[in-house]
Amino acid sequence: MADELYLENIDEFVTDHNRVVTYKWLSYTLGVHVNQAKQMLYDYVERKRKENSGAQLHVTYLVAGNLLQNGHFCHKVAVVREDKLEAMKSKLSTIASVHVYSIQKALLKDSSPLYNTDYDIVKTNLQHCSKFSAIRCAAAVPRTPPDAPQVPEPVQSPQRQRDPDAAINGHRVRAAKPPPQQHKGIMGMFAAKAAARPQDTPKEAKAEAKEAAGVSAANCKPPTKNTIMNNFFGKAAMNKLKANSVPEQPKEEKEVVKPSVAVAESESSPNTVAEKPGKKTESDRIQQKDKKSKTKRVDRSDDEEERDPENVKKKRKRIKQLLSDSSDEEADVPPSPTPEEERVPSPPPEPALKTELEPASTEVSAGGRKRKRKRVLKSRMFIDEEEGCMVTEKVYESESCTDSEDEFPKTKAPAPQEQAMLPTKREPKEERKNPKKGAAPASRANKQVSIMGFCQKK
Amino acid sequence: MFSEQAAATAQGLLAPPSAEPPTFPRVAVSGYSDCSQPFQLGERSFARQYAHIYAVRLAGMRPGLERRARSRWGNDVVLRRLSELQEGEKCCVVGTLFKSMQLQPSILQEISEEHNLVPQPPLPKYIQPSDELILEDELQRIKLEGAIDVQRLVTGTIVAVYGCEQDNGRFLVEDHCFADLPPPLPWSGPSSDRYVLLASGLGLGSVSGEALLSTQLLVDVVTGQLGAEGEQSCAAHITRVILAGNLLSQNTQSRDTINKAKYLTKKTQAASVEAVKMLDEILLQLCTSVPVDVMPGEFDPTNYTLPQQPLHRCMLPLASAYATLRLVTNPYQASLDGVRFLGTSGQNISDIFKYSSMDDYLEILEWTLLVGHISPTAPDTLGCYPFYKSDPFILTECPHVYFCGNAPHFQSKLLQGKEGQRVLLLTVPDFSATQTACLVNLHDLSCQPITFSSFGADSEDGDMELEH
Repeated sequence: MADELYLENIDEFVTDHNRVVTYKWLSYTLGVHVNQAKQMLYDYVERKRKENSGAQLHVTYLVAGNLLQNGHFCHKVAVVREDKLEAMKSKLSTIASVHVYSIQKALLKDSSPLYNTDYDIVKTNLQHCSKFSAIRCAAAVPRTPPDAPQVPEPVQSPQRQRDPDAAINGHRVRAAKPPPQQHKGIMGMFAAKAAARPQDTPKEAKAEAKEAAGVSAANCKPPTKNTIMNNFFGKAAMNKLKANSVPEQPKEEKEVVKPSVAVAESESSPNTVAEKPGKKTESDRIQQKDKKSKTKRVDRSDDEEERDPENVKKKRKRIKQLLSDSSDEEADVPPSPTPEEERVPSPPPEPALKTELEPASTEVSAGGRKRKRKRVLKSRMFIDEEEGCMVTEKVYESESCTDSEDEFPKTKAPAPQEQAMLPTKREPKEERKNPKKGAAPASRANKQVSIMGFCQKK
Repeated sequence: MFSEQAAATAQGLLAPPSAEPPTFPRVAVSGYSDCSQPFQLGERSFARQYAHIYAVRLAGMRPGLERRARSRWGNDVVLRRLSELQEGEKCCVVGTLFKSMQLQPSILQEISEEHNLVPQPPLPKYIQPSDELILEDELQRIKLEGAIDVQRLVTGTIVAVYGCEQDNGRFLVEDHCFADLPPPLPWSGPSSDRYVLLASGLGLGSVSGEALLSTQLLVDVVTGQLGAEGEQSCAAHITRVILAGNLLSQNTQSRDTINKAKYLTKKTQAASVEAVKMLDEILLQLCTSVPVDVMPGEFDPTNYTLPQQPLHRCMLPLASAYATLRLVTNPYQASLDGVRFLGTSGQNISDIFKYSSMDDYLEILEWTLLVGHISPTAPDTLGCYPFYKSDPFILTECPHVYFCGNAPHFQSKLLQGKEGQRVLLLTVPDFSATQTACLVNLHDLSCQPITFSSFGADSEDGDMELEH
């Protein structure tokens, strides 16, 4: 009979696997109501004992009832071994329930195996732990996401720390939380690439590329570019991303840049497509990487950390390589060719995206003022004309990834414009050099200066 | 409570599997309102002195005490402030008690270098025969002697004393009275049996695992997994679970980081992290089946001073996804199905226990109701927020169920007041020690302890249970 199947199952669990089979464990394993599980256990015990009275079977029972204690009645619920069952039943003045609690082959000395079995099975079924229970509660519904408070802006830096998780979550909670999702999406895209380097799921990359392109496209002023992006990546991603307010974008761009810096080491080739918008504007700020990379690297995987010393250079080379591919100009000789060759990307969509990315990058750089959120205490010295003295002041500056943007906001204005004025197909080296020249003193202080800085293109 | 109704089908599950077993719907909550707004602190500022809390306490309770004094000693009793006292005149004075105890731990003495004292080890009780009572009002203070039980009373109680000032400058007390039970609340309890389960002192994160199976059994009974059909249908009438503090064990409080060298503790995690994860899982199991109110206690990760603020929901990610979880303050006041509950996690009672000759938690609980204040010893010996506008611990209405958590045993008493008050006094025992929780029937304010046990290496512990 089909009903007898459970008997065989229980037999297998108890005798072959030598398990402690509690009613709860059986209920979850066979997917039956708890009361049915209890009855099944009882049935099995009865039959087994009838067939073979010398069966190696130990049973524990649950007894509940009223117990007269210290003059008042107390409801007692106890798990007892079979041999103590009758004694316990006689102690209770009224018995409320008796049923089989568990069956096992060995005699249990104490109840910790029972607890462990139940704990394990509940842990694996946490999401529906009341599914087979005898009581249903109508009020126990999960809270709707808008009830949960929105993640505020200041929480972004811890968010960034959680990027590897956010990448996955950024996808799932997208519908629920529009403002932070954008951060998660972009940051997640970049972060996940770094983290997913060993895993490198194409799906994720594609989705991330979608997000990245969506972001950059969203940043584009001309609507035509949006349609091109739409066609390329699909409307769904676009609509979701467009739902975000514009003020979010500068912040996002800033964050886009920052994670992309750290992520630059990622080897996956499809990812480079998405990284391009950030990277282009990044290229100028690469010297700032080491500082930020360190903070970002704290919570990155180990395989990133081992490349710490070379990161700075590598990122630069990589971007150079990318852009030299995309640009028509001559490519510069990279100082360290080997790491580059490992990651020579050749993404087919690259040329198609170039046109998008150029205005995107300019847009991004123009608004890149706020991209970086790192605040650094810096000493700034200037001559106060009125007083006729030199003033040194310590100021928190928002340091960003580009060289040109690591000074006060006022100095950022000329720098992005500088970039915007450059020809669309420009050398990565040149990009690096130009802003570098502009903010050389401050930038050189904390960047590794490349020898290529001396070569200038007229 | 459960047993009588369930007895009929007690052995029902000792049978082969039958048809589709019944599922019982949880009895819906008909009326719930959270009345603990006075205990919720928003912006907190600790820049104030604690004198203000005594001032508002006296100002808040003075009218009630003067009324009581008049009703007790006649309408023409003379009410005086301490500054207006005349020697030999029989009058009544309302003021705050201060008990000067030699053994009371004083931080100033501990750090005083001229005494070279080793800090006093914690004692179970700090009372001594040489303790003295002093009555203070807004301006002056005077020593009390006479018909007043010095050992029993504690600092911070507002009292009205009747007597006269003597020539040695002390006040000879002939009689005294307290605020007595607050005015009653109208009764609108449910018409059928509804239960509330109260448990406290789950003590997760402790080294011993004995109470773990009992905790699991508790969860299983409430969620309807344990027991025969009759018991499960009774359990479906449990409308709420209140966890009254000390969800974490005291063991999680040890901070190795202070005592041990840094290199030994670098990668270690605080014990409370694991314990909170366990708590989250237990709460998740409960929340999928019944509304739960979680009060913080002495060892829980929240602020130390009373009123303790609710645990933060970020610590309980799994359980706080459900709307049935309510993280509430300590003390907690709420109206469940028309029955007003008020209770604490036990810090107030155990503090009074230390500084008073009263030994019985139920007696102390009743005493706090009679003096009209939840925690008179705050802020003197119990940490408290420096209130200055009003003292939220003053009892203005008489609750229907007044409980305290983490008591050594289960005790309950139904108190009847002169003005028609009916209060169920309940001391909820520490679950990790006694494996006992309380079931309160809202219909008739009866309650019953529910004990869980399993078998251990030693034989059954049936008779070693609670004793009064």
